[in-house]
Amino acid sequence: MKSKISVLLIVLLAVSAMSAFAVGDKDSGTASGAPARTINVLLWDDPYPKALMAMLPEFTAATNITVNIEMLQPPQVLTKTAISVTPTSTDYDVVGIDEGNIPVFASLLLPFDSWYKGTVYPKTDPKSITPKMYSIGTWNGVQVGVPINGNLYVWMTRKDLIENPTYKAQFKAKYGYDLGVPKTFKELLEMGTFFYENDIAAGFGPFNGGPAGVLSEAVFMWESFGTKFIDYTGGTYKVVLDQAKAVEGMEFYKKLMAISPKGAETMAHVERQAAFAADPKGVFSMFIWPAQIAAYEDPAKSLVAGKIAYSAPPAGPRGQAAVTGAWAIAIPKASKNQEAAAEFVYWWSSKAIADKLVQANTIPARTETLTNPAYAASKPWLPALADSMKVAASRPRFKEIGQVQDVVKKYWVMGITGAMPTNEAIRMIVKETNDILQKAGY
Amino acid sequence: MTFSRRPATSQTGRVALRRSGGQGSPVPFLVPALLIVFAVLIFPIVFSFVVSLFDWPLSAGGGQRRFVGAGNYKDLVMDKEFWNSLRLQLGFIFIAIPLELVLGLAAALLLNREFQGGRVVRALILLPVFFLPVVSGMTWRFMLQPRYGALNNFLLSLGAPEITWLGHPTFAYAAIIVQDIWRMWPFVFMLLYAGLAGIPSDVLEAAEIDGATFWKRLFLVILPLMYPTILTALLLRIIDALRIFSEVYVMTEGGPGMSTTLFSLYTHRQAFGYMKVGMASAMAMFLLTISVIFAVTLVRKNMSLEKLEDQGGNR
Repeated sequence: MKSKISVLLIVLLAVSAMSAFAVGDKDSGTASGAPARTINVLLWDDPYPKALMAMLPEFTAATNITVNIEMLQPPQVLTKTAISVTPTSTDYDVVGIDEGNIPVFASLLLPFDSWYKGTVYPKTDPKSITPKMYSIGTWNGVQVGVPINGNLYVWMTRKDLIENPTYKAQFKAKYGYDLGVPKTFKELLEMGTFFYENDIAAGFGPFNGGPAGVLSEAVFMWESFGTKFIDYTGGTYKVVLDQAKAVEGMEFYKKLMAISPKGAETMAHVERQAAFAADPKGVFSMFIWPAQIAAYEDPAKSLVAGKIAYSAPPAGPRGQAAVTGAWAIAIPKASKNQEAAAEFVYWWSSKAIADKLVQANTIPARTETLTNPAYAASKPWLPALADSMKVAASRPRFKEIGQVQDVVKKYWVMGITGAMPTNEAIRMIVKETNDILQKAGY
Repeated sequence: MTFSRRPATSQTGRVALRRSGGQGSPVPFLVPALLIVFAVLIFPIVFSFVVSLFDWPLSAGGGQRRFVGAGNYKDLVMDKEFWNSLRLQLGFIFIAIPLELVLGLAAALLLNREFQGGRVVRALILLPVFFLPVVSGMTWRFMLQPRYGALNNFLLSLGAPEITWLGHPTFAYAAIIVQDIWRMWPFVFMLLYAGLAGIPSDVLEAAEIDGATFWKRLFLVILPLMYPTILTALLLRIIDALRIFSEVYVMTEGGPGMSTTLFSLYTHRQAFGYMKVGMASAMAMFLLTISVIFAVTLVRKNMSLEKLEDQGGNR
C-alpha cells in the first residue's frame, strides 16, 4: 500500500513539475512583455496559409500571442464556421471566409471599424488592398473582413509546347498564324485542338469540381460571351442572363471539353494539377487560382515548374473576364480575444509579411506587393495577375448562393457533357434560379 | 426439430428478481439507465424534431429562427431533389445489400470447412471491413480515375477504351454501390459464417444421410435455421446503408450533377451548403422514420421466429 502511495506521489510531483516547465516555456521568449495569449484560427488549406505558418514564430515572439491554426479544405471551412461561430460563442478568434460566403456569415462578424487598434502592428489600411479585391470583404456596405489573397483567374500556358520549333512550324502551316499564348477563345480552341489531335497534350483543363468552381467556369464563359448571370438592381436580385449568349458560352465550353483529358467531367483541383503538372503529356492551357501557383512551380511536385507562361485569360467574343475567388479573414463578434485576433490580422496583412509571402510564390492582396517591379522577373505570374485584375468579374453573392451553385453545377455539367441540350440546360438554370430567388423573397 | 437459444424465459427472470430480495419497486434501479437513454437517445430526437419545425438559417447562429410548423416538411415534399435523393438511397440499399448477402452467404458456405490456410483466408477476407470509409472512398476514386486509375489501366491493356467512371451518372452510381459491396460484404460474411457455424452438424449429417442434395440442404435446412442471422445481418446493413455518407462524399461529392446525391448527402447539403438546419432536421426525421420502419419490420420478424422456436422447444 505504501509503495502504491509513493508511486502516486511521484507521478503527481512529476506532472506538477512538467506543468511548471510548460508555463515557464510560455513565459520565456516574451519580446513585447505583453501577457501570453492564445488565439484559434480557422483557415483554408492551400500553399498560402501554409507559407504563413512558417512565419508564425516571428509573430509570437513579437506579440506573445500563440496562434493555433487549423487548416481544412474549403467546403469543410464553411461547414466548421457554420457550426462553430454563433452570435454568442465561437471556437475561433479568426476565420477565413471565401468571398461567396461573406454574405452568409456577415451578421456574425465584427465590423472592421470596431476592430482594436494594433499595439505592435498598425491597423490594416484598406487602401493598401487591391481595389478589385477590397469589395469581397464587405457586405451591405460594411467591411467585415480583410481580403487577404489576390486570387482571381490567371491563365497558364505550357511554354515548352508553344516554343517547340516543330510544333510552331506545324501549327503555322495548318492555321496560318503563330503558336503562342492564346489571346482569344478562337486561338485557345485551335491551339488546344492542334495539341490534342496530334496526341501531344490535352488541349484544355476544365474545372468541374465543387459547385463553386463550376459556377466560376460558367460565369467566366458567360461574361466572355457578354452576359451577366444575376444582378442586384432595384434593391433585389434578378436573373439577367441572356439565354442566347449563355448557350453560346456553354457550346464553346463543350468544344473545350472535347479536347480535355479523360475524366474532365469530374476534374477538381487535384485532378487538374495532376493532369497539368504531373502527367508527362500534360495540358496545353487552362486557368489557375494563383493561390495554387506555388504547387505548380515546385520542381519537387511539378514536371512543368519554370515552363509555364502566365497571362490574363483569353478573350471571348465580347472580351476578357477573370473570375475572382479570394478569401477574407474576419473576427467573429463572439471572440473573447478580439484584440489578439486583430493583431494577428494586421501582422498577416502587413507589407513585410506580404513581401515574404510573395517570395514563397503565393499571392497577397496588397497592391504595392503585387505591382512591385522587383518581383516581376522572378514571379512572372504577378504581371499576369495585374492584367487579370483589369477584367475581374465576381460571382453573384447572396445568402442563397449555395442553392444556386448546385443548380448551375447540375445543368452546366449536363450541358457541357451532352447529357442535355445546351439550350435546355440554360433554360433550366434560369428557371430554377428564378424559383430560388422568388422563394427567398427577392 | 427446434433449438432454444435463450437460457431463461422472461418468467424465470421475474422469479429471479423476486427471489433476489426486490421487495420494493424496481423503478429506482431503472432511473439511471432511463436517464442515460433519455440523454443520448430521446433528447436528440426530440430536439431534432423541434428544430425541424423552424426556419433556422445556420449562418445566423442560434439567433434568428422562425417557427414554420410543418413548413419544412411541406417544402421537402415539393422538392424534387429530395425525392431524387430518396430514390437513389433506396436504390442503393435494394441493390447493394442483396448482393452483399449473396456474396457473404456464398463465401460462408464455401469456407465453412477446415482446410489448410483456412483461418488466414477467412481473416484476409475481412480486411476491407477495417478500411475507414473515407479511405475506401478515396482509394476507389483513384482506382477509377480514367487516366491513372488501376481499373482503366487494366481495361486499356485488354484493348478497351478509356471510361470516365465517375463522370457518367450511371457509372458513378454503380461505382458507389460496388465500393460499398466491396467494403461491406465481408461484414455480412462474418455474421453469416458465425450463424452457419452455429448449426448443429448432426442436423446437416441427418439431411445428408436422408439423401438431400446440396440445394435441398441449403434451402430446406441451412437457410431456415439461419433465418434469424440473415435478418440480423439485413437489419444491421440497412441501418448502416441508410447513413452512408463519407465514402460517397469523397468519391463523387454527389455528382456528376445530382446523380449520386444520396439522402444523407442531400441532408448534409441542406445543413451546410444551404445553411437550412430546419430542413436538414426534417430530412433527418424522415430518415429516422424510414429506419424505424425497417427496424421494426425486421425485428418483429426476427422476434416472432425466436418465439416460434421457443414455443417449439417448450412443447
